[in-house]
Amino acid sequence: MKPVVVMAEMVTPYGTGTDACWNGLLAGKSVISRVERFKTAAFQSDYAGIIGGLRYHGQTSLVMQMLQSLFEGVVVPEDAKLLLATTKGEIDLLEQSMLRNRGDVSDAVISRLFNKVADLTGARGGGLVVSAACTSSAAAAAQAAAMIRNGHADCVLVVACDAVTEFIFSGFSTLSALDKRPARPFDRNRAGLNVGEAAAYVLLMSEERAVRENRAVLGTLAGWGLSDDANHMTGPSRESEGLILAIQKSLVSANIGPDDIGLIGAHGTGTVYNDQMEMRAFHAVFQNKERPVYSIKGGIGHTMGAAGLVEMIIALRALREQIVPPSVNLGEPDDDARGWASGQPHAVRERTLGLVTNAGFSGVNTALVVA
Amino acid sequence: MTISVRGIGWLTKEGYGCVRNGLLHRYEVREGVHTLPGKDIFSHPFKNFGRLDTISKMTAYAVSLALRDAGVEYSPQLKQDIGIVGTNAEGSLRSDIEYFRDYISAGRTLSRGNLFIYTLPSSPLGEAAIHFGLQGPLLYAVDESNALAGVLDMASEMILANEAPLMLAGKAEAEEALFFVIEQDRGMNRAVLCDLAEARSAVATIPDTAGLVRKFLQLHDGKA
Repeated sequence: MKPVVVMAEMVTPYGTGTDACWNGLLAGKSVISRVERFKTAAFQSDYAGIIGGLRYHGQTSLVMQMLQSLFEGVVVPEDAKLLLATTKGEIDLLEQSMLRNRGDVSDAVISRLFNKVADLTGARGGGLVVSAACTSSAAAAAQAAAMIRNGHADCVLVVACDAVTEFIFSGFSTLSALDKRPARPFDRNRAGLNVGEAAAYVLLMSEERAVRENRAVLGTLAGWGLSDDANHMTGPSRESEGLILAIQKSLVSANIGPDDIGLIGAHGTGTVYNDQMEMRAFHAVFQNKERPVYSIKGGIGHTMGAAGLVEMIIALRALREQIVPPSVNLGEPDDDARGWASGQPHAVRERTLGLVTNAGFSGVNTALVVA
Repeated sequence: MTISVRGIGWLTKEGYGCVRNGLLHRYEVREGVHTLPGKDIFSHPFKNFGRLDTISKMTAYAVSLALRDAGVEYSPQLKQDIGIVGTNAEGSLRSDIEYFRDYISAGRTLSRGNLFIYTLPSSPLGEAAIHFGLQGPLLYAVDESNALAGVLDMASEMILANEAPLMLAGKAEAEEALFFVIEQDRGMNRAVLCDLAEARSAVATIPDTAGLVRKFLQLHDGKA
């Protein structure tokens, strides 16, 4: 059975809604800003992609605040299975417990978030929390699509969330991964990433059920591939073989060839090594035939476990609008990205497919083909 | 398409072993899961094993035993399209506490990268992927009820969707771990323990690792 997207929405540092993110990206506007949520003087950077209006260390965790706003008024089929994707979930509850002696550290265990999200969304068909570093939500979307294609489900809600906290920020800082300025993916002078926060959801259905329920189809998750570099815990492979394998698997899964891909929503973190690894993979798979590559992380930062789903929704929008969004903050493309990545929006050809790639710690890679 | 269990590796508070190949080691006095000599478990030296967190060590032990039980040879240089899906009750909570306690004790200014990397629940699977050369899908999954059944289902979905021909699926806690090797049943009298449905049924009804090990050993003996 064919997995189709019938509902999708997000909350990002641009605000609530896909429109806010899409319009911000098209305008070339970055909403990466100085962090006021906690002290950053000791860290490598003080920039992050922060959602306005969230209360840090209040009664409710940051991700639950995001999700409450995201699902306000949304009706999800009760029989939907739920796949919840996150890297650190409610880690701010652990911070509160250890810094302020409020609550228990075990409140931050990610399995506990599942029931909260099931209650919030009304998805009662069972499910799992999925965590695969910064590919978490792309991997969850792939598994949702696999369940539908294999005939084991006909309605799966994929929810993604991660928040900027002192715990996470200090960790990325100690790994020297942060840019002192807003991130510049694929730029010759890029110097690292900015962490960001977001929540998003996609409701996937079998095409049969979507037709039966007269649902508007926003797009198709046509193929997917997951792989691991099996090489290093924090650094991407210098050969890019893991991402190449994931992309090749996704093309086989979609039953298409490389020439069918007309745009690439890259992971594009802004670190020297990630962007280089991705471009090497694109050159290899597409045999140096240029096609538009963009990253949204110069706009909102790296939203960790939520990144894949946010980027999948933006790729679907790009296909629908037939516009490739710019890589925000890209001034001069690096040599390997010249002719591929651009700081300007431009048109995409009709009836093409999109590729969305993500990568993360432990060497994980995902590639999604969207139509 | 039928999916079969090709091997199981396990560790409990009493010992460790494999189900199909007959390996069964019961701990002697002063022996336990945290004093195991790696050379008895791994066929190749495990680089920097001492710096791994507890869940990563348990994952690595159980994966090694499961691969041995399934007759799958490995080396870090030989990368294979084998995936891994893992679970446990608390995710990375122990490592989260260790990382953040260390950060607080340093005055909330410095933290340690080698502690931070284990604050992802998927990191133990990543360590296993590096050592065993696992280049297939990798993810951690959990729910509040029977997470082992969930990861078996997920690994099976991956095989059915042709994401990988062979999958490891299991759980690793601080003092016990169990991993399955599952694959598409290709017939041809290939030696397998049971089909996945049988394993799934056992996992759904037997909550403890020691009980599961007994069940699968009985299952194997009944077939032997």
